[in-house]
Amino acid sequence: MPTVIAIVEDDPDQRENYSDVLKSHGYEVRTYADRPSAEAGFARELPNLALLDIMLGEDMDGGFDLCMQLRNMSPTLPIIFLTARDSDADRISSQRMTAWDYITKPVSLEFLVARVHALLKISDQLQSAPTASTTVSVGALELNEDSMLVRWKGQSVSLTLTEFWIIESLTRNPGHVRTYDALSDVTRQGLVERNTINGYIRRIRNKFRELDESFDRIQTVHGTGYKWEQGSA
Amino acid sequence: MNASVDRASAQNSRQATASRTSRPVRRGLKIRTKLLLLVSFLLVIPWMGYESVREMEKFLLEGQEQALELTTQGISSILGNRSDLFDPGVGVPELVGSSTGNPLKTLEEPLAIDAPAGVWAQAIGELSSFTGVGLYECGADYRPDLLAVRHAMALNADMLFAYFEIDDDRVVLRDPGLLSLDSNDQIRLTIQRGSGEVSRYLLTTQEPGRISVYLMKPNWREVVNGEALRDIVGTLEPGEGGYAVKIRIPREFLGTGARLKFEVVDVDDEASRAIRQIISTEPDPFRFEFGSVRLATPELAKLIQPLYVAEANITVWDAFFRVRAQVGSVFPPVREAFGRAPQKRSFLTQIEDRFLEFFEWILRSPQRGVKDMPVDSSREDRRLLSRVIAEGNSITERRRYGEAKLIVTASPIWAAGNMEGAVLVKQSANKLLSLQYRTLQRFTLLFLGVFIFLGIAILVFATRLTYRVGKLQRETEQAATPEGRLLKNRIRAGSRSSDELGSLTRSISALLQNLGQYTQYLEKLPDTLAHELHNPLNVVNSSLENLQYNHAELSEDKHLQRARNGVGRLRSIITSLTEAASLKEALTREQVQSETFDLALLVRNCVEGYQAAHPGYRIVPNFSEAPVLILGVPDRIAQMLDKLIDNAIQFGSENGLIIVNLRRDAEFIELSVLNDGPSLPDDIADRLFDPMVSSTKDARKTHLGLGLYIVRLVAESHRGTVRAENRRGSRGVEVTVALPVEIRRRG
Repeated sequence: MPTVIAIVEDDPDQRENYSDVLKSHGYEVRTYADRPSAEAGFARELPNLALLDIMLGEDMDGGFDLCMQLRNMSPTLPIIFLTARDSDADRISSQRMTAWDYITKPVSLEFLVARVHALLKISDQLQSAPTASTTVSVGALELNEDSMLVRWKGQSVSLTLTEFWIIESLTRNPGHVRTYDALSDVTRQGLVERNTINGYIRRIRNKFRELDESFDRIQTVHGTGYKWEQGSA
Repeated sequence: MNASVDRASAQNSRQATASRTSRPVRRGLKIRTKLLLLVSFLLVIPWMGYESVREMEKFLLEGQEQALELTTQGISSILGNRSDLFDPGVGVPELVGSSTGNPLKTLEEPLAIDAPAGVWAQAIGELSSFTGVGLYECGADYRPDLLAVRHAMALNADMLFAYFEIDDDRVVLRDPGLLSLDSNDQIRLTIQRGSGEVSRYLLTTQEPGRISVYLMKPNWREVVNGEALRDIVGTLEPGEGGYAVKIRIPREFLGTGARLKFEVVDVDDEASRAIRQIISTEPDPFRFEFGSVRLATPELAKLIQPLYVAEANITVWDAFFRVRAQVGSVFPPVREAFGRAPQKRSFLTQIEDRFLEFFEWILRSPQRGVKDMPVDSSREDRRLLSRVIAEGNSITERRRYGEAKLIVTASPIWAAGNMEGAVLVKQSANKLLSLQYRTLQRFTLLFLGVFIFLGIAILVFATRLTYRVGKLQRETEQAATPEGRLLKNRIRAGSRSSDELGSLTRSISALLQNLGQYTQYLEKLPDTLAHELHNPLNVVNSSLENLQYNHAELSEDKHLQRARNGVGRLRSIITSLTEAASLKEALTREQVQSETFDLALLVRNCVEGYQAAHPGYRIVPNFSEAPVLILGVPDRIAQMLDKLIDNAIQFGSENGLIIVNLRRDAEFIELSVLNDGPSLPDDIADRLFDPMVSSTKDARKTHLGLGLYIVRLVAESHRGTVRAENRRGSRGVEVTVALPVEIRRRG
């Protein structure tokens, strides 16, 4: 059974470009230009992964509405937001709707394919009950790379794919500094400004602090990058 | 698009520079001064008031004159054709005294000749003063302190009493050794009896006590009869500075229609015994030998008595210039004029009285004029009467004695075509003047009150106005920085007021609001632009990638490479645009994330990172290891440092030296980054920290001029300031961020 990817994007050029590259990687692609057509399509056939733009023509938050519908239809469907909007408010909204990833334009198609690939793999893993063997523990932190699951002191932390990759990179060598360049590579978005990395770190910290106010494991090494402080535990 | 943004920003800055260079302060009168000057024009009002009061006075005086003239004419017509009243034989043409003196007093009890002078003075009534001045001219060498006479007479049923108080510096009595009677102080009495017979009596004495009376010949040297007379009795009583003389004459002795004249003769030199002065009770010794006898006609007096006019003196004269009757006085009754009956006064009237006293001091009180009123003005009266009698017409004249004003009218009395006499009425105009004065006083008081009230009101108003304008000016000035950046978009002070100033405030508020919206639009422009550019950029990017993917042989194609480079540059431009736009918002949000950290450590770490990232440059920290603690958001400080270093590298010389300094004094922590690049261009020096201002001319270097803008935003969010200046002494530019030592969190 082919893997179906739904693309909802109002701009035909971008839509076709995504479609082309994904098709050439062997995926079945359904493209929709607006919310009504996408809703109709989803009703007919639930995709394996959805790639959503937030703004759909005049419909300012059309992508969010679609996301909510999809989530109702399937709790484990990987959803990627691919948008020009780069505000914290939008990111938080997407997170609340349990989107798996949030990528800002312009996106590198190469990395887009990589993300789609990764998310589908994780989705598969989730469906076939995660194996404990792939779980890595770093102090109070538990990471399961296959299912993108992160636990801090036993509590699950909801991270996007990019954020998961950053945490994964930081904790690979606790106590060692990850430079901005290294972290930029990890985000798989092409050239990433320091400020963007700072933004990711800030959001990750906030998520951990929601669970644990005294969370301070991610430390800034100004001018260089960040490191995961192992701590005494 | 970019160019227009740049132009708008440049224009903004130019305006800001213009307003900064010419402060809107000019010399000249302020509103308050102008209004007060205006109030001073009110000072014309008292002048107007004074003029109108003067006019009123003139008018009233004329009215008084006319009234007085009518009164006079009325009296004269009443007295007309009553020749019986003026007949010396009929009526009681009794006596006596001076024409100017008071009417003779009638005594119930006779005065004892030996009674003390004080008793006489009290009983006989008011004394008339006779001095050598005026009518009784004695000569140029007359001195009142050497000789002055006060004299009065009174009547009872049988006797005439004459009393004299004589001031004499040296009393010389008759020397018993000398035969002559006239070589000493003496009193001469001349009597013209009704029959026309004239007798002269000399009264003299050797010692205080009884006076001897001798009948004299007209030369006053020889006696007619050596025997002293017993009909006339007199005593001399020495007193302080002179002596008093009491004389009693039986009326029988005088007969009917007699005229009397007294002369007081003064001798001062005991050796030569020459007569020094003679003072006579005769008013006009040159014209009438015995004109002085006052022929009081009681019937006349009765007739004119009801015609009493306030503060007026009515006299009736016969054709021989003798006063036949008189009523009233020009002097105001004492109580009425000078004192009000004491009564309970309210506090306000007391204050008013104080004011009135003050004004009496400033303005000239007419009550002073009363003192100038002469006791005796018979000479002028006579002159007027002679004119009336000569012309046969009524005449009115105004007289002035110093401050005193007198209105005098005289009207002839006719009887069967003959002029029998005249009526003379004198009235003081000071009553009117005091009326005028009081009006002036009240007016001045009222005006002063109004003036002070108006002055204060206008002062308060002007002060309030000035304060409001000043506040508006301050707020307007504070609404924008000297660089023209808006700090607030409305003015609170007085915006609710309904007057013009309020609407001006609202206009300025509206202007600021529009300006604020425009500024906001300009500030959002990069963000909107970036957002809109993302989509087409994504199209280009993804298309290029598809192209490359589908045509692997093209991956080394130079044109494809260049296209990708271009996309990369476009992307970094858009990213920096977004960064600056979102930073402002983020900074206010992040204030709560402030923490105290070691700035020195952060800077040192960053510098190490920069050195690693830019191996071609030498980036040198130039400060001690000592920690510099500061309260702030470390990420943003690092971001700011990023931009400072980027800027230093971009505008420094190729592979040059960049020095990072950190200084701390009592108030500020100064972080500065120095490069060795070219000097700052003058034209943008002021605006270097504004967005979209850059001096770069290199087309291939992407520089939107947002770096230093970000530096400024971060510094300002930490309440710091930024400045850029050319390095002194050597080539290069130094950009400094000064952060206050104590950064308090914003409420």
